[in-house]
Amino acid sequence: MPADSLTLTFAALADPTRRAILVRLAKSQATVNEIAEPFVMSLQAVSKHLKVLEAAGLISRGRDAQYRPCRFEPAPLEAATDWITRNQQTWTERFDRLEQHLNQLTNENDKEKKE
Amino acid sequence: MTEASMELGEFTITRIFKARPEILFECMTTPSHLTHFWGPIGVSTPLDGIIVEPKPGGRFETLMINDQTGDKYPMRGVFVEFDPPRKFSFTEAGVEGGMTTSIVFNDLGDGRTETVTHQTNVPPMMMGPEAREGLESSFVKMDAYLASL
Repeated sequence: MPADSLTLTFAALADPTRRAILVRLAKSQATVNEIAEPFVMSLQAVSKHLKVLEAAGLISRGRDAQYRPCRFEPAPLEAATDWITRNQQTWTERFDRLEQHLNQLTNENDKEKKE
Repeated sequence: MTEASMELGEFTITRIFKARPEILFECMTTPSHLTHFWGPIGVSTPLDGIIVEPKPGGRFETLMINDQTGDKYPMRGVFVEFDPPRKFSFTEAGVEGGMTTSIVFNDLGDGRTETVTHQTNVPPMMMGPEAREGLESSFVKMDAYLASL
């Protein structure tokens, strides 16, 4: 994925309303009206959130000019989760090796003391 | 022992080492030490590819090489904070729209040190109060939700 797609994804996910919209769309596709129903906000405000989600690739809109149903697209979410898992793995392994390195330093020091 | 928590766009790893903060800080900022452990398993970090300029604004660069494939993973960081033996942080401008890593060394007073590593790829200026509030909710929730799809 392009360099700052992750930033777009994280920024889109940072808002609770947008996450709620995604949870709704994960169940089934829906029109803007259907999405807006449970929220206390204007259609315009919901449309703004949908635009952010669409720019991040987290939803797609149908071609039907009148209804344009929104669909959940899981790929960016998976990429975001992958990024975190990968980095976390790197640091965990790095620290495992640091621990071994520290043990080795301690052993060498002990040897020097004995000699 | 590693404890990890994830939030949207960032994560924190807390780990306790049997070493004083001074030794740990030195290990993590000295090329002759870094070469022994910086690469994760299966990845080496040759000494001549490591640059550490120990001051804010100084370079922090490594070149990791996959032992099997020979693939190279350069890291080009710049120190933001350099405060031995308490804390250092660095940014990588070229990674995923800008990544910041900070490591805090907490002296546990019994010869052990707790390190808290925090990594984020969301630049602070992008995070308004609304976004920050959102970031507080755990990524674990999002994970559970993904699993339920």
